[in-house]
Amino acid sequence: MRSSPFRAIMNRRATGMEKYLGAIIVAYVVIVALKNPLFFSVETLFDMIYSGSGVMLLALGVLVVLVSGGIDVSFTAVAVVSGYISVRTMLALGVDDILFALIVAVVVGLLLGAVNALLIHYLKLSTLIVTLGTMSVYHGLMAVLLGTKSYSVGQMPASLVEFGSSYLVTISTDAGVFGLTVFLPIVLAVAVLTWFLLYRTMLGRSVFAIGSSEESAQRLGINVLRTKLFVYCYTGALAGMMGILYFSELKYVNPTSLIGEELFIIAAVVIGGAKLTGGEGTILGAFLGVVIFRLFGATLVFLGLSSSWNGLFFGTVLLISLGVMYRRQRLSDRKNLVFAAA
Amino acid sequence: MNAVVRKFSQDRNLSVISVLTLTTLMVLIATLGGRFLSAGNLQSMGTQVAEFGLLALAMGLAMLLGGIDLSIVSAAVLAGIVGTKFLAGDVIAITPGNESMVMVLGAVAMLVTGMACGLLNGLLIAKVSVPPILATLATLIFFAGVGMVITDGQSVPVTIPGFAELGVATVATVPVVFVVMALVFLVVGFMLRRTRTGRRIYLYGENNVALRFTGVRNERLVIITYVLIGLIVGVAAMIMVSRVNSARVGFGESYLLQAILVVVLAGFDPYGGRGRVASLVLGLVLLQSLQSAFTILRFDPYMKTFIWGAALLLIMVIHHVLNIGSGRRSREKEPGTPPIAGPQQTLVDAEA
Repeated sequence: MRSSPFRAIMNRRATGMEKYLGAIIVAYVVIVALKNPLFFSVETLFDMIYSGSGVMLLALGVLVVLVSGGIDVSFTAVAVVSGYISVRTMLALGVDDILFALIVAVVVGLLLGAVNALLIHYLKLSTLIVTLGTMSVYHGLMAVLLGTKSYSVGQMPASLVEFGSSYLVTISTDAGVFGLTVFLPIVLAVAVLTWFLLYRTMLGRSVFAIGSSEESAQRLGINVLRTKLFVYCYTGALAGMMGILYFSELKYVNPTSLIGEELFIIAAVVIGGAKLTGGEGTILGAFLGVVIFRLFGATLVFLGLSSSWNGLFFGTVLLISLGVMYRRQRLSDRKNLVFAAA
Repeated sequence: MNAVVRKFSQDRNLSVISVLTLTTLMVLIATLGGRFLSAGNLQSMGTQVAEFGLLALAMGLAMLLGGIDLSIVSAAVLAGIVGTKFLAGDVIAITPGNESMVMVLGAVAMLVTGMACGLLNGLLIAKVSVPPILATLATLIFFAGVGMVITDGQSVPVTIPGFAELGVATVATVPVVFVVMALVFLVVGFMLRRTRTGRRIYLYGENNVALRFTGVRNERLVIITYVLIGLIVGVAAMIMVSRVNSARVGFGESYLLQAILVVVLAGFDPYGGRGRVASLVLGLVLLQSLQSAFTILRFDPYMKTFIWGAALLLIMVIHHVLNIGSGRRSREKEPGTPPIAGPQQTLVDAEA
């Protein structure tokens, strides 16, 4: 008898990486809270959910790519390009509807992802190099064709601005009114969908299989091209959705922002235990990685440190995590006389 | 002459890049003429190519091992920042008497920082077995983070005038920085072709497991190579600081894409074991000529981004079609390789 999805999540034993990240987060939160009790508030929580939602969408896409054994650096470009094309389409057609914006962005993201998948599959070259190329091509081509005009709140489609400031619940405190963003259910739905696709469908098994060994997967009869198309289209679609969330969160449409963040987001997912070298990775791990990334980014001020310290903190955690993760792998490889890795 | 012809016919990749470079140069000279060939333009090309060329060489070395080094630019910037701290008199107060000593100290600090960065990468890759792409992704963020904490995101200016003179000085109208780059290329080229370590770097990229079982100390080889990469990055940092006369986190971010572009263009196999310094030089000539042509033609920066990305993809398509570049992979899958039937056949023949 198959267990229910909830049982599978709740009864699953946490991976070493997840426990370790959880410990870091708890320790860090305790330190920050001791130093500055103001940190412990619903506002901080709501604010972090708000600003972390978009990153979490991207991280879920990155997770799927990493599990498939690839690495994609073009997704921030895809997010900005699809978001911007969507906004420009809305303005050009005079359509002011958030659903329309999301659909256009997701479709554009999907198409760009498909281009990535086809290039990666047919050129049989390092996914990093291919997506580095497409990243520049997508962003450069958009800027050349559409220009790089920014739109401020007043010029943006009203529905987009409204979407960014819609709340599920609001609480009023002395400092003002804080709301829980509508991004939350979207991100949760995508997380559940990703979980379902990865762990409960044949497609997900194929993704893990080609991540572990493409050659073996192919010999098993798995359609590698179809699996890769799914992986990169899914990432592209999530990036497109993120583009809209991002612009509506900032209340400013800037077609040059976000690019350059991709390595941080990949790093956040990698911290969470996703392995580039094999079909490993968990959604909880990716989530914890993103939490760490956002936590350092947003709360160093509570410790009296400037945000300049973010890179150092995050980089250190990243180095230690990778060290722990791969050290263990290396020792077990040694024991089993596996010499594949250096 | 015959030897040259033979060399080119053996190395399909070298001929492809030569043809590409020559064609581009001829087209540029024909269309831009004097503006391209002017002494001023050639000199500025020589200056600009120096720091970038060294970063590309560092990337090429990493790719020979079958890895990649994403951290080169941020290591160069960190090395530049540490050195500039000396050059700005923040570590030792500058007096008229000790200027040259501080300059030497600053330069040494850059080289040492670069090598330390390389050592960290090498240790992570060799001793902890972190895949190079992830190890250097982590160190990229870490180095930038350290640089950020040191400078608080501000630009650190050099206060000693002598150092900037290095960036503009010329020897017989050739920029000094270009000469420095050429020397490093010669030394590394010689090392790769003529020394045992160089040979082993290629062998490691071909098959590191096989190399391990021939008794080569693999891990030491990887660490040495990454320290060497760090040293080259340190030299690039010196040139960078002397040219810009300051150091700042985030400088030269576009170099990463271009370094990968030129290394792939030069036919380095991302899976390791293949690539020549000579092709890399041709690739640099090609890239820098295009770069300066774009400047002369006043191209939009986004147009440039697009062209670099498209060039990277195009080169990969060309390599794929000509079946070079990721040679090992395609060779394995080539249908023409003798099947097991070969020897069996002779066995049967012998029996008959």
